[in-house]
Amino acid sequence: MSNKTAKLIFWIGTLVSLVLFLALTVDTSRQFAALTHADKLDDQVVAGKHAFEHRNCNDCHTILGFGSYYAPDLTRTYSRIGEDAIIRRLQQPEVAFADDFRKMPQQHLSQQEISDVVAYLRWVSNIENHDWPPQDSQTRWKSSTDRLLAAAALSPGAALIQQENCLVCHTLGSQGESRGPRLEWIGGRRNASWIAGYLADPQKLAPGSPMPDFAHLTPGQRQMIGEFITAAAAGRGR
Amino acid sequence: MTHKTQSIAYPYFVVALLLFVLQVIVGLWLAVQYFVTVPQAFVNVFPFSTARAMHTNLLVLWLLLGFMGCTYYLVPEETGTDIAWPKMAVAQLVLLSLTGVAALVGFVLGWTQGRPLLEIPTTLDFLVVIGALMFLANIGVTMIRAKRWTAVQGSLLGGLVFLAVMYLFGIPFYRNLAEDWYYWWWVIHLWVEGAWELIAAALTAFILIKLTGVDRKVVEKWLYVELGLFLFTGISGTGHHYYWLGAPKYWLWVGGIFSALEPVPILLMVVDAFRDVRDRKTAIHPRLTWVYLVGMVVLHFVGAGMFGFAHTLPMINYYTHGSQVTVSHGHLSFYGAYVLLNLTFFYFAIPRIKGFPNGDYNQKTGQFAFWLTTLGVLGMGLAFGVAGVLQTYLERIQGQPYMVAQEPIRFWMAIVAAHGLMVVAGALLVVKHLLTLKPATWKPAAEIGRVVAA
Repeated sequence: MSNKTAKLIFWIGTLVSLVLFLALTVDTSRQFAALTHADKLDDQVVAGKHAFEHRNCNDCHTILGFGSYYAPDLTRTYSRIGEDAIIRRLQQPEVAFADDFRKMPQQHLSQQEISDVVAYLRWVSNIENHDWPPQDSQTRWKSSTDRLLAAAALSPGAALIQQENCLVCHTLGSQGESRGPRLEWIGGRRNASWIAGYLADPQKLAPGSPMPDFAHLTPGQRQMIGEFITAAAAGRGR
Repeated sequence: MTHKTQSIAYPYFVVALLLFVLQVIVGLWLAVQYFVTVPQAFVNVFPFSTARAMHTNLLVLWLLLGFMGCTYYLVPEETGTDIAWPKMAVAQLVLLSLTGVAALVGFVLGWTQGRPLLEIPTTLDFLVVIGALMFLANIGVTMIRAKRWTAVQGSLLGGLVFLAVMYLFGIPFYRNLAEDWYYWWWVIHLWVEGAWELIAAALTAFILIKLTGVDRKVVEKWLYVELGLFLFTGISGTGHHYYWLGAPKYWLWVGGIFSALEPVPILLMVVDAFRDVRDRKTAIHPRLTWVYLVGMVVLHFVGAGMFGFAHTLPMINYYTHGSQVTVSHGHLSFYGAYVLLNLTFFYFAIPRIKGFPNGDYNQKTGQFAFWLTTLGVLGMGLAFGVAGVLQTYLERIQGQPYMVAQEPIRFWMAIVAAHGLMVVAGALLVVKHLLTLKPATWKPAAEIGRVVAA
């Protein structure tokens, strides 16, 4: 390689990258307003940013993933823990983090500053940044809910409970009547095959029980009801 | 040393080294806070954030003072003239040191701009700008008067001007957080993966020419190629910081592709260094300077090149962004690229400033200190890496709450701190060795006496 070629590589390499970078910067600046919802970026949000910087929050926390890594990322704090929890942490960190192995300093923020910071975090939480961070990903929350609903709707056990009108006597979640025990409570105490056997002949396992028998169901169907009830119990499968 | 004014570099080196020691001590305290519960009353007065601001600003300040010292040493030899205004160079050091002290005290008192690495308040920013202008004027005028341009000089001056201009983008207050980070990276990224690389390439080329005796034409030809690749990949590579800050999606492509190429120029630098060593016309001597030189190019590639590449692609970065993985890369690359660069240059320049024959010196504790510090930083970087991968899996993939996911990481932070102790001990030894450098022991006693007296 000659010296001339080397110089050519230097100038072409540098200029190509520089021109591309500056052109994209111009375009990005144009798009920022829409992507960050700059129309909602009012003076209170800016005051919140000032308070946030004044207390050097960013040297423990990350925000948009930048900063220090000692404390949780704040990009989606507003949607993760909500306004009240943010206020409580800002007002009394010594109480909010009494049991934690890492402490947050008491910053002596005024009421005004606290609501400014909340406004700031609310605005930040709406920045469209390709759904980062993954732990607060809206796509992930949505697919989790979808899975839950789909599983419940498709669960043969759930369908049988509907079909057999179990909730005329029992409660499940916020539904049903309180004549018999709550299904989650049963699920927490018994396993699926016990429940299946009980459905076939309640008197055999619990003499004197007001529970009607479900001997007209197949053993497989009774097992499915048992599995659904145990899965619904607190502390199991959640 | 060929010119008297080259010795201006020495006080710069001294201040830089003292700040280095302070930086690693504060760093050790930061690591401890990750696994020990600090009482609320203490946290209220001296929180993690304050110590972190000190740690990072000390790093930037000492590396920059080091670069300035290196420049004052290099320029007279390259241009063949003395520094234009030696007294102003001393005044500049005093100004910047005082600014640094004011900034550190200010942090403890809560005087901060609150943006990581650029915490120093606007008032102090102006003092830094004045210091930088004094520096650039001094160097620029020296070069212009001499009218003897070399590629090494050009790269160095270009890097320094680039560095100074980029600093300006960090000064204003930005209303919009996304825009704020966008230009924050013009300072941070375009420094470490742009301007500082130009400086590093220039200083490395200079040392290689002097130490190996390889033809300047060969070194400078490859210097052009290195610089071209550094800037080609580095400038648009800034995009790897723009993935998740609210910028358009094309940055995932631009940042991903350009930054994936960033290891190439570093690798070229490694290859160039090894080629120059192979084709050397002089003996490998003194050995420790060579250890530093080779250590620097290799660790520059490992820390900046490999550890950077590991999490630069958007599909990986989505999970690792803003975790301890970043910290691992940060420590290894700053040490490999810029700490070792400064220390290599100090080992090259100090014996010559002190007038030791052949630039030789007594290497006794220096060897041990190098390995202690280097192995300490490597161990620390790996422990940060394990912590980062754990955090990525537990918090980002499994979805555990942040503090729950931090619990198993505490152990790895204790490992970090243990290696931090090694780094502190090593740094103390390096600094002590450099500041009390003695001529090689095999010299006649009379000569030692003469040098010490001088």
